[in-house]
Amino acid sequence: MRFLKIVSHRIRSLFGKSAVEQELDRELQFHLERQTAENIAAGMTPKEARSAAIREFGGVEQVKEGCRDERRVNFFEAVIQDVRYGLRTLRKNPGFTFFAVAVLALGIAACTAIFSIADAVLVRPLPYGNAERLVMVWEDAATYGFPHDTPSLGDFSDWKARNEVFEDMAALSYSGSFNLTGSGNPEELRGKIVTANLFSVLGAKPILGRDFRPDDDVPGAARVVILSHELWTRRFAADPQVIGKEIWLNYERCAIAGIMQQSFQFPGREAELWIPARFTKEQSANHGNHFLNVVARLKPGISLKTAYAYLETIAKQIEKEHPDENAKIGAYAIPLREEISGDSRPAILVLVGAVCFVLLIACANVANLLLARAAGRRREIGMRLTLGASRGRVIRQMLTESLLLASLGGGTGLVLAFWGIPLLTSLIPAGIAPLSGSEVNVRALVFTFALSIVTGTMFGVFPALRVSGVNLSSSLKQGVGRDGVASGGRRLRDVLVVCEVTLAIVLLSGAALMIRSLQNLYHLDPGFRADHVVVMRTPLPRQKYEKFAVRKAFFDQVLERVGHLPGVASAGYTTWVPLTNSGGATGITIENQGVPEPGQRPIPNVRVVSRDYIRTLRMKLIRGRVFDERDDTATQAVVLINETMAKQFWHGADPVGTRFSCCVDPPEKPAWITIVGIVGDVHQAGLDVPARPEMYLPYQQSDFGYEPEYLAVRTAGDPMLLAEAVQREVWAVDKEQPVADVMPLENFVDENLAARRVQASLLGSFAGMALLLAALGIYAVLSFVVTQRTQEIGVRVALGAKPGDVMRTVLSQGMKLYAIGAVLGLAAALALARTLQHSLYGVSASDPVSFGGVVILLAGVTALACYVPARRAMRVDPMVALRYE
Amino acid sequence: MSKPTDLVQGTVDLLILKTVALEPMHGWAIAQRIRQVSGNVLQVNQGALYPALHRLEQQGWIQAEWGESENNRRAKYYSLTKAGKKYLRDEQANWERLSAAIGLVLNTA
Repeated sequence: MRFLKIVSHRIRSLFGKSAVEQELDRELQFHLERQTAENIAAGMTPKEARSAAIREFGGVEQVKEGCRDERRVNFFEAVIQDVRYGLRTLRKNPGFTFFAVAVLALGIAACTAIFSIADAVLVRPLPYGNAERLVMVWEDAATYGFPHDTPSLGDFSDWKARNEVFEDMAALSYSGSFNLTGSGNPEELRGKIVTANLFSVLGAKPILGRDFRPDDDVPGAARVVILSHELWTRRFAADPQVIGKEIWLNYERCAIAGIMQQSFQFPGREAELWIPARFTKEQSANHGNHFLNVVARLKPGISLKTAYAYLETIAKQIEKEHPDENAKIGAYAIPLREEISGDSRPAILVLVGAVCFVLLIACANVANLLLARAAGRRREIGMRLTLGASRGRVIRQMLTESLLLASLGGGTGLVLAFWGIPLLTSLIPAGIAPLSGSEVNVRALVFTFALSIVTGTMFGVFPALRVSGVNLSSSLKQGVGRDGVASGGRRLRDVLVVCEVTLAIVLLSGAALMIRSLQNLYHLDPGFRADHVVVMRTPLPRQKYEKFAVRKAFFDQVLERVGHLPGVASAGYTTWVPLTNSGGATGITIENQGVPEPGQRPIPNVRVVSRDYIRTLRMKLIRGRVFDERDDTATQAVVLINETMAKQFWHGADPVGTRFSCCVDPPEKPAWITIVGIVGDVHQAGLDVPARPEMYLPYQQSDFGYEPEYLAVRTAGDPMLLAEAVQREVWAVDKEQPVADVMPLENFVDENLAARRVQASLLGSFAGMALLLAALGIYAVLSFVVTQRTQEIGVRVALGAKPGDVMRTVLSQGMKLYAIGAVLGLAAALALARTLQHSLYGVSASDPVSFGGVVILLAGVTALACYVPARRAMRVDPMVALRYE
Repeated sequence: MSKPTDLVQGTVDLLILKTVALEPMHGWAIAQRIRQVSGNVLQVNQGALYPALHRLEQQGWIQAEWGESENNRRAKYYSLTKAGKKYLRDEQANWERLSAAIGLVLNTA
């Protein structure tokens, strides 16, 4: 009760100020009138009575002030006064204000943006129920060059049946394309073939319709599909009536069972629909075909370590039962969070570190500015102290000013961050931020504000304490800048400048290393030429193209037609163009090398290609010949192998002319394939990943269990100009054939480097900001020093110092600070460069070119920043300087 | 403005509280009343009276209301709040204890 009264009182005192003042006035007026009346009654004349009353009362204004004090109005009024005064000072120094606000805003915006993204990728819980217990399970086939291998169905079935650590395990095929026909234009959709329990393992439910049931997932079950929210909205106008309706997918009827919620994504962003796998018994027992993604939910209380141990034991059992297929194949689990953030984790952490550095530099800069300004205001402060302002009052006023500055910076920074995050997210490809939904979040917002307030207080308190502790008489007597306060302040400012240089060197060298790595990768020979090539996918629907001859006819005709298009240099089909699939491998048996031990069998990548594919991609022919017209169904089966395969499996002997068979053939009746040539290595898995053994089979000769899907066309001019014409030729062969992912081959290269490019460019721009800020910091300090020392310089010049000497003094002062910063910065950068190791390519973490370049660059910029104030010092006119003040 | 010492301030507060405990009263009347009741011994300085009233109101011990005065003018009347009544009881007991103790010391020494 009493508390409420007090609060309402305070509020009234603060906000109903004029009413309260009026009341106070009336109250005191009443008192005086009453006293006057009393005095008249006692026999005074009215005039006497009134003046006696006033005399007795004392000063009306003092009483009022006393009442206001009691009401605590004064405190708030002082704050408002401070804010007004602060705003006025800031307005009077627009340059200073703009610079300080801009520096803070940039630092805070960059920080908020990066923190929001880091939060989304690394901290925020994944959008699945109890996501911390979800893991992905992989095969460890490191012996064959696949340490992170997609499990086979047989392994999955065995893991699922035998493990005691997972509540449940679900599997999905790693990709699937579905031709949607019937209603509207035919469209190729990305979908996943999944086991029926996928959603329940993930802890997700459809928002509409039903989840898959176990009986949807048996061979011969009626086909059902669950659609993504996005597909449902786009293609079916978000109509809830579609549940139960049938659509045509790959020429088969499929009933829509349910719609997933909007935010649901698994495993990546691209899946638009999910279909039960309906694996047969035979498929489920196959240990040789590795194509699954497996996700599992740990039982509560089971640690990852325990799960590891169990998986290992089961893998050993399977190895014993299937020595051929499972020799040396292990199994392990990785937390889903780690799997999804993947490579982006270190990259984002580096960016977080970098952006913190930028913020630190920004703060140092603002602190520097505030210090310099405070030093310049010593006289004003001294005057105010002399006139009776308390020290606390002066400190409070200066603090208000810096807080104002900080919140202006923080506010502007927040606006910038809101605007910058979508920009950043659009820049950042799936590789670095796999889950969408990076937006300014409350945490980052709170962080920003806390940051701006802390910055404000920190850099307001120090100069305020320093300046308000000024010895009054000395500061009034002496002019600008010759007492102890100034030199003490300068030492602090020097330290700040050294810090700025140090941080800038660290950031710049990090950026330099990243940029040099990127350059190396761009100049790296990936084994093929990506320019002037357009690629597209034409996945053949199984139902229509079941027979080999029909498929062969399709490829023959498309290549024939496309090859005759004007402007087309050559065209080729392949199972996978480079950078689209790191695997696709099969075991082989080499003639005359004996039957390999289990686990020793060579397993090269397989690419089934057309005759001209090698030429179209400008792959190098090292020995022998490429495919030609002779190679057909009727002639000898031929194959091309890459250099790595020749080296690894023939150990220096010449493989050309020798034969091997694919391990799918029964060993007693091998279908020998003769090696006719060796081609150069192609970086299939990523530009920075060395090539695996690889072989190329001509699609004309046989059905190898892989079918070409990517059509690559080399053109004379801009490849995209011919894209439409090429598509028309495909449709001329089969007008129902979906054509997907039409793009220049260069896109894959770009995409492959995108994460690095974004990281390098962000780091580069942060480093640029750091460079600019450090230069401005040095400039500000030296300008101030020159202003402070104008008189001294004047005396020196009058005594015969040459302009060159003056300039050298100033320059050397700046360069000395730079040198200290550079040494510290180099040491820190060398130590920190190791954290960048993972993203470096072809550059050592102590690359002398990068570090040297950075030191020279920053030295140049520093010299420039010193030169301007130094020149001003040089031009000091002794007569003016001595009269100065 | 020089602030009264704690003893004086506390005393003025106590006197005001006691005075308005009888009936709602305006500032001038409070001053008059204290003077009359104390037989002209205690004269509340008016420079201290009003800030004290505002302080007590601010602290929630008394509340103010505008009302008609004896000469038909609008005046601000102060009265005790519930919390103020309890506070007055406590303070009065304190004061009595204190003055009794001082009396004891003065009489025996």
